[in-house]
Amino acid sequence: MNKNITIAVASLCMVLAITACDDELPTMANFTDYAYSSLDEGGGSWTPILLTSADQVVIDAPADVASTEYMAELTDLKSASANLTADQRKKVEYWTNNSLIRWNEIALELVAKYNLIPGPNEDDTYTLPNPASPDGPPAFPFAHPPYACRAFAYLSVAQFDGLITAWHYKYTFNRGAPYNVDNAITPAYEKSSLPSYPSHGAVIATSSRDVLSAMFPLEKEYLTAMAEEHLQSLIWAGINVESDIDAGKYIGEEVAKVALARAAGDGMKKAQAPKAVSDSIKAAAFARFGWQWDNLELPTRPVGLTPLFGQVKMWNVATVEEVRPIAPPAPGSAEFEENVKELKHYADNMTDEWRAIANFWQDGLGTYTPPGHWNRFAKDFIIKYKQNPIRSARTFAYMNMAIMDGGISCWDAKYYYHYPRPIQTIPGYKTIAGTPNFPSYTSGHSVFSAAAAAVLAYIFPQEAELVNAWAEEAAISRVYGGIHYRFDAVVGTDQGRKVAQYAIERAKLDGAN
Amino acid sequence: MKTIKYILFGMCAFVATLVQVKAQTPTDAIMMKQRESCVALIYDMSTFDHYWEGDLLRVNQTIETVTRNTVLPMIAIGLHDKLNLIVATPYVKTKSSEPNGGKFAGAKGFQDIGISLKGELMNKQLGAGKLALLSTVSFSTPMSNYLSDYMPYSLGFGAPEFGARAIVHYQLDKGMYARVTGAHLWRGQTEAERDYYYNNGSYYTALMDVPDAWDYQAVVGSWLLDYSLKVEANYQRLVSTSGDDIRKYNAAQPTNRVEFGQVGVTAQYYPKAAKGLGALLYYSQRISGKNTAKSNNFGVGLTYQFKI
Repeated sequence: MNKNITIAVASLCMVLAITACDDELPTMANFTDYAYSSLDEGGGSWTPILLTSADQVVIDAPADVASTEYMAELTDLKSASANLTADQRKKVEYWTNNSLIRWNEIALELVAKYNLIPGPNEDDTYTLPNPASPDGPPAFPFAHPPYACRAFAYLSVAQFDGLITAWHYKYTFNRGAPYNVDNAITPAYEKSSLPSYPSHGAVIATSSRDVLSAMFPLEKEYLTAMAEEHLQSLIWAGINVESDIDAGKYIGEEVAKVALARAAGDGMKKAQAPKAVSDSIKAAAFARFGWQWDNLELPTRPVGLTPLFGQVKMWNVATVEEVRPIAPPAPGSAEFEENVKELKHYADNMTDEWRAIANFWQDGLGTYTPPGHWNRFAKDFIIKYKQNPIRSARTFAYMNMAIMDGGISCWDAKYYYHYPRPIQTIPGYKTIAGTPNFPSYTSGHSVFSAAAAAVLAYIFPQEAELVNAWAEEAAISRVYGGIHYRFDAVVGTDQGRKVAQYAIERAKLDGAN
Repeated sequence: MKTIKYILFGMCAFVATLVQVKAQTPTDAIMMKQRESCVALIYDMSTFDHYWEGDLLRVNQTIETVTRNTVLPMIAIGLHDKLNLIVATPYVKTKSSEPNGGKFAGAKGFQDIGISLKGELMNKQLGAGKLALLSTVSFSTPMSNYLSDYMPYSLGFGAPEFGARAIVHYQLDKGMYARVTGAHLWRGQTEAERDYYYNNGSYYTALMDVPDAWDYQAVVGSWLLDYSLKVEANYQRLVSTSGDDIRKYNAAQPTNRVEFGQVGVTAQYYPKAAKGLGALLYYSQRISGKNTAKSNNFGVGLTYQFKI
């Protein structure tokens, strides 16, 4: 009997031990609204990226706070925000007073959802995702790193230009926030003296909705619902009246149009070149260097990933050639053999530490990609340093422009040099990371990471050491993973920094410092 | 003498199911006497070239045929006539056949230590046979720092598991028997080496919930040749209670909702000439499933029974 009791108690403990660690797992950044470290009252004078000026998009002057029209809106706001349901309250808390964070998370999640490489058909052919019939199969898009970095860049640039416009009109018209007009209103978020016409939240909602809907056409309904919820939450939170929101919506829609017009003509449509073009690119590299990368998947993929992404229009670099790295060491050369030796050493003596580094930075298929990973870091710093929305948008915009320019430069090198992967040059070689469907030199992770780190180090100098160390680790992680030579990573890191410098030089002159 | 032998043989009989399920759920009906012990060494080979992506049965040349070799040392001890302790420490090695399109390195190492306690709650004569009611509680947890988030090569799901099983066994005095068992398996969280993953939405953590599961088995068998040979046919069904589907042409992950139905046959032989020794042979095949391999399992093993 005694024994039975002991067993029962022991079993119970085991159940508790297992269930106790089943904590609720985080699905978003865990933060609440915060007091901005500054309001950037001069934000309206910053130089936009795509708009010619902060008043390119024109809105009407708002009704005076003493007008009956405004009074009626205030009354509506009071009744809408007075007795929130639990669900409404939850949504107000979700969006916070820096909703850029949430839209960035939505973008990251959509990338992870669509970052699935199309598999082979029954007859061993492959079908490419087609924007003209997005349902597929395969569904459009395949949100690979080049696609993802471009989506993040257009999203961030539209948000940034929209907020510069919003700030311009906020401080032109100076219409106070509802709670500063009427003391009876208690907003859900930290109070500030930021003028509320036009609503910057609405600018973020509609610009994000429209850019992301173009990038992820199958998600239009979802994005529309999210934007609607976001717009509603501005009233529930007691921070914007209807006319604030209407003006903000308009600005967001207009800047999204400008951003999407650039996107439509940036060359991305041609990036996934047809086989004939792809073959000629490969042949040119072979003629030039005597080597070529081959896809080793089964069945063989006829074309690598976006061979012409290197020709997509850059944000801050005039020509991709000016940032093209030097040629890699030829296969068989002494330097190459040194690198191969190192790769074999890691594969044969894999440690827990190398494996963990390779996996932490892998950001492979089905994830938010390396550009997404750096957006996540940016988001955490934005929260940590309590950046206001326009400052946050600037952080995202410059970082994502640098990441995309880095990606373009990297892809230019990849297909110009067309360098074979370790699994192609080392007989019998096996890897712990998946070898991607594009040439080796230079490493995309290295370029993306170094470019992102450089911009973050510029914006958050206190974090420079940390982010630069991360970029170095992200670069070497690909060597531990067995899919890049060290020279891919080292040169790629330099390349990323170099490209980012163009964005940083522009940022220095944009009036925000 | 016959009774003792019968018990001994029975004790060593649980191993086949153990390997198949994941080396920790003793599911048979037979108890070993106090101070009896049984050691077993099993070699198990599981292979698959088809798997279910959600409900879709497919092949994937990136991984081609995946082989999982397991060496499973086990020990069972009779703590009491009605209470047995079973410990298992499987060593697993995985790899893809050549050539394959992925060129992924396989994995190897100790998987999960499994500790089970089996108690006999009732055993009485009923008609022409005996009806036994037993219960097993089991606990397993990773023995090494293997990466669960490396499917299909990962050694296991990388989380602690607690199982509670009920066993009903009816055996005719002539040696034929039937058994049904049902268990609930509570599974904890496993730690990936990335701190973001997609599971029908974003997860900003390295922790992954491994779905709990129900596990059922039905067995019919018989002792033959004067209790020196036991043959049985079995059916097993495992159903996760939550989880997501493997995404299209994407790797599986520990959060997946795994289901399968599996049929198998097992034979155990205890030569009268070699006292305490036993041999084991089994084969099983998955016939239905979701988010798991359509694997075939083959196993062979030796058992040795002795008094402490």
